[in-house]
Amino acid sequence: MSTHTMLTIKDFQEGLKKGKEGVKKQPGLMRSTAGFFDMLSTYVDRIATAKDDGKLVATHGTQQPLEILEAMDVRGVFNEFWGGVGDMIRLESVPQALAVSASTGTPGEVCSFFRNMDGLMHAGKWPRSDMFLYATSCCDNVKAFHTLGRRYGIPSFGLERSYVPYTAHAIEHWKNEYKRLIAFLEEQTGKKMDYDRLKEVVALSYRLTELHLEIDKLVATVPCPLAPECYSGTLLAIRLLPGTQQAVDYLEDLRDELKERVAKGIGAIENERFRVMWTSFTPFFDPTLQSFMQKKYGAVSVCDMLSHWRGDAKWLLDPDDPLGNLAYRTLLAPGNCQYSSGVDVATNLSDKARRFKVDSAIFNNNWGCKTGAAYATVVKDELMRLSKVPSLIIHCDVLDHTFISRAEIEGQLDSFFEMTETSKAYKERRNLQ
Amino acid sequence: MNAPLKALDEMVRLTSPFPESVTVKEWKATGRKVIGWFNPYIPEEIIHAAGMLPFEVTGNNEPVEMQGAEAHIYANSCSKIRTCWQMQLDGKYNFLDGYVSSHMCDQDMRLLEVWSYYNKLPYMELIYAPRKRDEVGVQLYLKDLEVFRSRLSEYLICRIPDEHIANSIKVYNRGRELMHQLYELRKRDRPPVTGTEALEVSKAAARMPREQFNELMEQLLDEIQSTGREIKKARRLMVIGSDLHNANQMAALESLDAVVVIDEMDIGIRRAWGEVDTQLPPLEALARYYVLGRPVDKHNWNSDGRLEFIGEMAKQYKVDGILSEIVRFCTYDGWDKFDLKKQMEKRGIPILEIDLEYGHPAGAQVKIRAEAFMEMLESRVS
Repeated sequence: MSTHTMLTIKDFQEGLKKGKEGVKKQPGLMRSTAGFFDMLSTYVDRIATAKDDGKLVATHGTQQPLEILEAMDVRGVFNEFWGGVGDMIRLESVPQALAVSASTGTPGEVCSFFRNMDGLMHAGKWPRSDMFLYATSCCDNVKAFHTLGRRYGIPSFGLERSYVPYTAHAIEHWKNEYKRLIAFLEEQTGKKMDYDRLKEVVALSYRLTELHLEIDKLVATVPCPLAPECYSGTLLAIRLLPGTQQAVDYLEDLRDELKERVAKGIGAIENERFRVMWTSFTPFFDPTLQSFMQKKYGAVSVCDMLSHWRGDAKWLLDPDDPLGNLAYRTLLAPGNCQYSSGVDVATNLSDKARRFKVDSAIFNNNWGCKTGAAYATVVKDELMRLSKVPSLIIHCDVLDHTFISRAEIEGQLDSFFEMTETSKAYKERRNLQ
Repeated sequence: MNAPLKALDEMVRLTSPFPESVTVKEWKATGRKVIGWFNPYIPEEIIHAAGMLPFEVTGNNEPVEMQGAEAHIYANSCSKIRTCWQMQLDGKYNFLDGYVSSHMCDQDMRLLEVWSYYNKLPYMELIYAPRKRDEVGVQLYLKDLEVFRSRLSEYLICRIPDEHIANSIKVYNRGRELMHQLYELRKRDRPPVTGTEALEVSKAAARMPREQFNELMEQLLDEIQSTGREIKKARRLMVIGSDLHNANQMAALESLDAVVVIDEMDIGIRRAWGEVDTQLPPLEALARYYVLGRPVDKHNWNSDGRLEFIGEMAKQYKVDGILSEIVRFCTYDGWDKFDLKKQMEKRGIPILEIDLEYGHPAGAQVKIRAEAFMEMLESRVS
């Protein structure tokens, strides 16, 4: 079976470098776009040089307290990032990796974030990993980490979490789970956790949260100052490099640029017709779809569920209790929202819709995601009930661009935006009546 | 030709028509409540101790068209939850007073959510099902059981006392013991029941009052003893994977000169293995049993023990081959598939993997594959 289009870590490094050179040549892009590529390169380079630097690498799934890894000099490879950014670099890699995964017997009905990892590992193209880390989330696929660990002889550790996370007992439980994770990491690395360093890392991570919230406020401005090329910057800084100065520097630059744009009244586009909220995930499978939507429909992406902070996000309660803070952060952090019920998700999104002045929502129903398949309609109906925001549901694969064609999506978007524009709620929101 | 088992016929009569059966109607006629439950991390004992009838929400021997359900739960989710949701939409589960599920898998949990949003029942509850089989998992689960007991008590407007739970544990332990005896009998060279019959027994266990079921089980075992019943088939099979409730699927397999002597399904073996410790405080005893006391299942992250257990059972029951059936979109089974096949190959046990839609009869393609598998098993013997 051919594996030539499948990305190696070297391809990631080169692709990101080329990407940065490319954006420099393109006029009209936000200047933070180069910083976005720099941040991604930093992340990938840290993984590539880990062995030479004497650091261990952990492949991990969502819901990980990466601050603990950072404080213990363990470098993380987030499997979802690897697929999403892989699509930015070379779209043909994922379908081939999925084919390799299928050849091992893994069914095509499981999530392609994991099948992509499975295929790349089988082909020897996944970054060298010393351990696998995972956690209960709203995703049963995390079992893949144990399975692959068994297959390749790589030690793994899973964080067990209760489904109803918003209780004092649950937070105490998570704190204890983090202690178990630290014990596992100490065993793997042969080093003891330096709690003073962890406090510093946690403080930097909190700084990222503050910046994220500042940026959110700026993005909520009409017209929206954030262009698609920088849309994922905030989320990736938070999800890939929490507790690092590089991520703080990047978000400070992004915030400053957004401030300038707001002050000058510069929007992502001149004629902003629709403000869009992504209620499951942004279209990783089609990295240029957001730009396309902007050009064709005047539809600007303003917010999404994956980068949603619950409540006021003030999670640094006691600077001397880093694990307690991290446990509490888990409750509020982006990526945790869908862990809850669809009604709760819709309630959070409804608040977001109000703050970001959203006109329409798009729910990407990932073929391999059982949560999305079973709660999309609850989210859609409840969001409509609470805030009169209509939803389009796109049946897609989170990574595989061959699952649904751009033409088919375009047809759906044509009707959706036409319907939105003629709706009473839209007209009222925009004072068009 | 063996005569039908009278006790089994009675179980089937009492649990028919499905789901609002003779038993359910009689129960409701006395003003008592029925609580539906969905997966094996729901301790029926607590519902039983509350004086309510625990009733497993499933499909049955007839396939269900699921188009209506797909308006709320999309087709890229497992057909078991879509089947059950369709049955709810069709009014088949209108007799339920409550519904409880666990977060054993995303889909089970989301079925509860969809049910709660579109047709809320007076009592609805969700319990966490730990992925790890360790003390931390037991304590986490125990906390949820305490909440479950409290909320069910609130619904009942009467505290469910420990003594009642302890008594229910004894009743259910007896049921497990009797079902286990039936499994032991199936080790015989000529087992006394078919896999289809054993499946009907397991289904009945979760659809009628356990005391009544236990009595019928005792009669069934006596009947087997007194009649010297024997199933004469050439090949011995094991069925593993997703739960089957359509006994016609099993019957189709057994029409091929084979008998299913053992399974590895939640509805089968996990209902008949181990016992709850009667010396511990009742809720703790339940937590320990449900997390640690049964064979490792597919939802446990570390499923190494599951694969070993399957191999061990295949050996004990002298099976010629394994049929691994997976209801499409089952993530857990999906991730065990590769290693399961490798491990069974290493043990020299042939395995046939089949993807199914829950409740739907085995189509021609499946039948052809099953026939080819049987021929292969035959050629191994010769």
